[in-house]
Amino acid sequence: MTDHNAAPVSLGDAAEVLRSRLDARTAGFLNACVRCGLCADTCHVHLADGEAASTPAAKVERLARLFRRQHTLLGRLAPRLVGAEAVTEESLRALADAAFGRCTMCGRCALNCSVGLDPAALMRFARAILTAARLVPPGIAANAAAALATGNSMAIPPEEVRETIAWLEEDLRATVQDPSAAMPIDRPGSRVLYAINPRELKFFPLSLSAAALVFHVAGESWTLTSTDFDITNYAYFAGDAAGARAIAGKLLRRAEELGVEELVVAECGHGFRTLRWEAADWLGRALPFPVRSFVEVVADYLAQGRLRLDPSKNPAPVTLHDPCNLVRNGGVIEEPRTVLRRAVADFVEMTPNRADAYCCGGGGGLLAASEHTARRLAAGRIKAEQIRATGARVVVSPCHNCLDQLLELNRHYDLGVEVRTIAETVADALVLPGAATA
Amino acid sequence: MTATSALLLCALVVAIAAFLLDRLRGRFAPSRASLAPPKGSARAGVLYAFTRAFAPTAKESASRHLPTYAAGIAYHLAIFAMLATLLASLGGAAIPRAVAGSEAVLFAVGTACGLGLLVKRRLSPNLAAISVPDDVLANALVDVALATGLVACLVPGALPAFQVAGAALLLYAPLGKLRHMWYLLASRSRLGATLGRRGVRPAARPIGSGHD
Repeated sequence: MTDHNAAPVSLGDAAEVLRSRLDARTAGFLNACVRCGLCADTCHVHLADGEAASTPAAKVERLARLFRRQHTLLGRLAPRLVGAEAVTEESLRALADAAFGRCTMCGRCALNCSVGLDPAALMRFARAILTAARLVPPGIAANAAAALATGNSMAIPPEEVRETIAWLEEDLRATVQDPSAAMPIDRPGSRVLYAINPRELKFFPLSLSAAALVFHVAGESWTLTSTDFDITNYAYFAGDAAGARAIAGKLLRRAEELGVEELVVAECGHGFRTLRWEAADWLGRALPFPVRSFVEVVADYLAQGRLRLDPSKNPAPVTLHDPCNLVRNGGVIEEPRTVLRRAVADFVEMTPNRADAYCCGGGGGLLAASEHTARRLAAGRIKAEQIRATGARVVVSPCHNCLDQLLELNRHYDLGVEVRTIAETVADALVLPGAATA
Repeated sequence: MTATSALLLCALVVAIAAFLLDRLRGRFAPSRASLAPPKGSARAGVLYAFTRAFAPTAKESASRHLPTYAAGIAYHLAIFAMLATLLASLGGAAIPRAVAGSEAVLFAVGTACGLGLLVKRRLSPNLAAISVPDDVLANALVDVALATGLVACLVPGALPAFQVAGAALLLYAPLGKLRHMWYLLASRSRLGATLGRRGVRPAARPIGSGHD
């Protein structure tokens, strides 16, 4: 994966991926599209820019044209009749514009496809072709390369992880006024390995502190790891299956080394999706432990009475942004609501919500693709309008990618809201042992 | 068997053979079953995909485009009836009078819907941008088959023309966009199974619901 514009495009490698890596599912989707175009206004990118090239059907068609030329009889004999195109630099750059510049792989169009195909899966395959062609945005490629080389996408060394956790642990002890409170790290035999997004260590330590407080109050046996802790997977965004397998494999091996009974994934949509739903298939074996989102775990703690929350501690109106990879593509739909209804005094839904929610515009790795920043912010207009319509003063989202985008949308569209994680919201509502409920 | 019945039968055999050959050639790696433990039910997802997912309320793409949705449903109902009628005609007998009247209405509506969808394809900038000659050819072949079917319902002597039009349609089906008739089944069931396994569909609450 190298430079988006400067490096030579590898036509042969791209054609080889198109020829040999297509599976029956993907080929079936490409054969099934009838270009009805009814998906158009289900896509936040098209709704925001109004361009014909931004409809899901148009994005699928960019890939389907290459497919038809390579894999269908009429595509070879009468390419103009069926709109087939050869793999050329021009056709690949058009595909890159569609798959990286106009699609966050949020999957909303899949739920609305009249035929029943999955355009997001097709865009992932398109990205695999573009990885082979060396047309991946350099920011996405760099993050994936860092994760492969160092065990996390921000190349944070283990010593820095331990130092950061040490000062967060001091904060935890002060908060709960218990000198024995701990943020265990690299502790074998813990029940839970809590795997995190490296951005939490660098930029969002409060979300990590909040999760630690929740685990502490719930009496969980848990640990962090100073190595291979990264739940993010930029190779997945690049459509690089081998890289995605390697990145997920590092964390899963670390969990096995520590002998944990469960892997709990911090608030990260694609991190959850890759580890919960994709990793076993990449590795070709069932995982030896369940993988759950932190949000699911908190919902369980509440159900088991292991946490007491006082919603009056979060009095401002709160709305929830559903991360596409956690909700629509991950199935964690009601748990965030269960938690927020217990944690805040005034919870208001966006419309539409749950699996039908609009993408914030920051999915698909676009936050790392600076060449698409303007489009990303423009595509976020739909989400900004949804947020404004709720009248909420706080937007909660259990995904750090979404949080970054929402923070930018907050500034760009002058929303005047606070953006936070579920962990932070729950931590603020926690009734600590020994304290009285308000 | 009449000459046009034989032609229709040959076209049917060729179409089925082409689809089966494509399937049996195994050109593409088989899709593997997911190894991740399910949260929901793949079976429920597939059942949903072939039942409630067809309802206009199930998808924004349908509820926001009700005239197109209705035209699409009517068009495909007419196509299914037309294909069944073609199969029944292989013996060379005229379309029974008991069903000819209702079929004529269905074929007329189907033809009109097909033409309407074609006009929409030309007029909508979003559709025009992605349309290829195959879209027109496929639509035309279907519309001609429906129209000749309509005539055959009213004029029994027109059955051979209907069969020739049907044969042309069947011969083209495995080649152009009409092949979606074959691949749609697998695509729909695969997406349904994925969404079902993940507990996304069928939705626990009414789809598209807003505030609690």
